[in-house]
Amino acid sequence: MLACQQASATDAESETGKITDRELIFLCQRGDRESFRLLYQRYQQRVRSTLYQLCGSASLDDLVQEVFLKAWKGLPKLKTAKYFSTWLYRISWNVATDRRRKLAKDKDRTSSIERVWEKEWNEPKLTSNGSTPDLMQLHYQDLVQRGLNNLSFEHRAVLVLHDLEDLPQKQVAEILNVPVGTVKSRLFHARNSFKKFLEQQGISF
Amino acid sequence: MTNLHQDNQNNLVSFLRHNQSLPPDASPLLEQQLINSLEPHPRRKLRFKAAWTVPGAIATGFLFTSVSFGLRTPRLALEPKDLDNFLVKNWHNTLDSQNTAIEETEADLLLPNLGEPQPALAVSVQ
Repeated sequence: MLACQQASATDAESETGKITDRELIFLCQRGDRESFRLLYQRYQQRVRSTLYQLCGSASLDDLVQEVFLKAWKGLPKLKTAKYFSTWLYRISWNVATDRRRKLAKDKDRTSSIERVWEKEWNEPKLTSNGSTPDLMQLHYQDLVQRGLNNLSFEHRAVLVLHDLEDLPQKQVAEILNVPVGTVKSRLFHARNSFKKFLEQQGISF
Repeated sequence: MTNLHQDNQNNLVSFLRHNQSLPPDASPLLEQQLINSLEPHPRRKLRFKAAWTVPGAIATGFLFTSVSFGLRTPRLALEPKDLDNFLVKNWHNTLDSQNTAIEETEADLLLPNLGEPQPALAVSVQ
């Protein structure tokens, strides 16, 4: 489900009698773990998907757990509940960046960071889409993964957050702590790079 | 041209969304592990205590300084009797030692000596 649809669904929860995000956050700030469990269930898929697109499948559970642990610790300081989603994405971005830096430092295990990333990307490919995957679709998925891997980390982040997670440019700018103009510029270059890569693979738009 | 560019962008985004890989399923134990590892938030009362530590220290220091300064200043006699005794004793000594001698000298100069017989003044009425 896309982020905007999820956000509107969350807003509509108060009308359907479900507890709202704001109420959950209020309870979490007072130490209610069961409310945090509900928050986790609502947001874990988005966090998981973002981290997967940014970091691959290796240690994905650990990264997701790290994001939510940091969110739990930081919740008492969160003043405006409506920014929770942006704030959570920002934590995810920070965790992904830390992960990348850690891999960059850890050169003893492998000769190249790119090989690690490539390995992480390639591992879950054939099992990601469930029951009877189409061969062409698997091929396209492989292309998308390789195309994302071909981008710089900053360009990939913008493409993932804006085009895949369907977040508006303003929110992406807040998450990455850069001006909106930078987001637009990075998005433009990321899409162009991606298109060139796909054209090299025989796919044109 | 712009529409063509926009169409290309939309096609690319649609292609990406349609063919993106989904992340592997989370471990079934992950949620419970996360909830179990949550540490309780620090209570706000502690924050208030910490926040009041500095002003409290300043107030205590001010009070201590005021009290110690008050002990060092000379106290005034509260009882009128004590004050009378103090004044009488001190003024008495002062008059005995210095002022008395001065007064005696002035008295010698200005006042007639009553011990010696004075010549009678002759007054003639014409």
